[in-house]
Amino acid sequence: MRKIMEVAQHEFIVNLKRPGFIIATLAIPLLGLLGVIVAAYFGGQAGAFLERQFVGSPKAVGYVDQVGLFTPPLPEYADLFIPYPNEEAAQEALFAEEIEAFLLIPGDYLDTGRVFAYSKGWGLTSAISMSEERIPPFLVDHLLAGQVDEDLRARVRDPMNLLPVSLSPEGEGSEDTASFVANIAIPYAFSILLVIAIFTSSGFLLQGVSEEKENRVIEILLSSLTPMELLAGKILGLGALGLAQILFWLGCGWALIGVAVTGLALFGAINLELMTIVLAVVYFLLGYLLFATLMASAGSLGTSAREGQQIAGIFSGITAIPFMVSGFIWMNPNSLLVQILSYVPLTSPVMMLQRLGMTEVPPYQIAISLVLLVLGIAGALWAGAKVFRMGLLMYGKRPSVSEILRALRQA
Amino acid sequence: MITIETNGLTKRFDSLVAVDRLDMEVQQGEIFGLLGPNGAGKTTTIRMLMDIIKPDEGTIRLLGHPPGHEAQERIGYLPEERGLYRNLKLMECLTYLAVLKGMDRKLVRKRAEMLLERVGLGGEGRIKVNALSKGMQQKAQLVATLVHDPELVILDEPFQGLDPISTEQVKELIWDLRERGKTVVLSTHQMNQVERMCDRILLIDEGRRVLYGPLEEIKARYAEHAVLVRCAGPLEGLVGARRIEQRERDRLIVLEDEISPQDILRQLVEQGIPVERFEVATPPLEEIFIRVVEEKDA
Repeated sequence: MRKIMEVAQHEFIVNLKRPGFIIATLAIPLLGLLGVIVAAYFGGQAGAFLERQFVGSPKAVGYVDQVGLFTPPLPEYADLFIPYPNEEAAQEALFAEEIEAFLLIPGDYLDTGRVFAYSKGWGLTSAISMSEERIPPFLVDHLLAGQVDEDLRARVRDPMNLLPVSLSPEGEGSEDTASFVANIAIPYAFSILLVIAIFTSSGFLLQGVSEEKENRVIEILLSSLTPMELLAGKILGLGALGLAQILFWLGCGWALIGVAVTGLALFGAINLELMTIVLAVVYFLLGYLLFATLMASAGSLGTSAREGQQIAGIFSGITAIPFMVSGFIWMNPNSLLVQILSYVPLTSPVMMLQRLGMTEVPPYQIAISLVLLVLGIAGALWAGAKVFRMGLLMYGKRPSVSEILRALRQA
Repeated sequence: MITIETNGLTKRFDSLVAVDRLDMEVQQGEIFGLLGPNGAGKTTTIRMLMDIIKPDEGTIRLLGHPPGHEAQERIGYLPEERGLYRNLKLMECLTYLAVLKGMDRKLVRKRAEMLLERVGLGGEGRIKVNALSKGMQQKAQLVATLVHDPELVILDEPFQGLDPISTEQVKELIWDLRERGKTVVLSTHQMNQVERMCDRILLIDEGRRVLYGPLEEIKARYAEHAVLVRCAGPLEGLVGARRIEQRERDRLIVLEDEISPQDILRQLVEQGIPVERFEVATPPLEEIFIRVVEEKDA
């Protein structure tokens, strides 16, 4: 045990000093701080500001009204919708860049609903964006002007203001935006940080083993301790480093939220359930143990740090799947695909860390996932220790698949 | 007292028998040469001694224990494939390796500094390993092997990559270990490097024991009936000289059976030939090894 602790201490200190670790650890709070500063500076107009930067100011849209229901335009649309007497005049204005696009509203519009959108070049994107955002209100307002009262016209134009409501098991709902951010966005961000910490720490393990092999230090180490002691010490030291990184991020997070509290009024609303935190920590530790073992084995198999990373890429690719399908998680955190990925040991830690942050995962799914994950870890440790032992002493040559299989068969 | 004892030690890699039923004993306080050509099985034997790989058959006892923790901390091992942590300062690196050998962290610095001084690296402890030259790293490696003051020192190809001055420094360190009662196992394929240093040797080829025992006995067993002479002028008319061969700057005089080296020396003095060197010829280990292998194959 003493030697394991010595290795753990060494790994912790050496990797703590790595520029890559320092940069990664500081970058996330700095990004958060930048976000708070931007939000504070632009206040409530941040959205409009960003829209201006990325979307730009909208140009006017022309239209040819052959049905006679849209001319003259209502005063509130006069700046953005310019009527033209015929198609030729509208085309001329389009090519003179006076308008972004023009609409041809044919005489049978009321029967068919057809509206032709013309723009330059392929123009599909602008035609679609016009129809999605600007045209329906224009059409609705003009069709109903003078037919119904103003309030009803406004409601038809903008029929709903959707508010997500999270219902707790006790039937209590919370519906404000701050609560949404507190209950979903922040836990989700936290889970992503845990995943980052897993990959950072296990990545250092991979790098460390590869370097020790490349530097030929490994044989000296193995003359002082067993491969299992070396592996355990490394996993322990780098796991502690990962936890320290998370604690640092959490400290910075609380500090940043403290700064942001006056502007966003979030502080009181944050409500992470104890069980969610416990499960997140459990998945973090188990996930780290699995990836650390796999990364150490990959590092021992490569002849150089670069080759070790190439081998580890096989595992990294699989574990990245939950990120690739994060769109599905947002749409339906309990869909079948998401459930399956929650059971597969290689993807379950990352998947469950994401799901736990944003939804209530059924207990039976958590139980199945944890059992399979623990079995997966046991298998990885069993195979990893053998591969690790064999790979460490192979210099200048990557072991073949048959050699790996032989190592696994050996007692 | 026996420091290392192996019985029937065998290791196979697929169909290759790397070490084949090897028996040996290494006595406390001696310099023991584990010799043989490249691929003879020396490193595999050492790795089994160090418990890095497990033997398929046979037993090992080291310092009275089977290989493992109890023995490991009392052994200093310089592997053939060696290196240090390039991004650490030399003293940090030495401290970590010594602590893994069970040494108290507080005691490492003083002893490491003394050893660094001995090999000409005094004051280099604060420098990062990657800033040291290759030769300096080699010597630093030896310091890492000895820093925890082991009872048994196993050196696999210790002179590899060293310049002549560094080689002498390392040889002095090895002599010093012997003086202090430590046991040293020297493994090398460069037999000429160590044949003057070893008390006893084990010569292996293809994993098998070829020669084993006190070096002087082995050399005497294979000694030619000849003398090696360095002198000016021709050597003619020597009674009892079967033939004379040039050996670099010396001449090897192979003697008739009934002639002794003293007879030749007397003749040289009587003829007034100035003699710079005169010794009974013993074949170098390499030559003995070749003869033994050839005899075995025949």
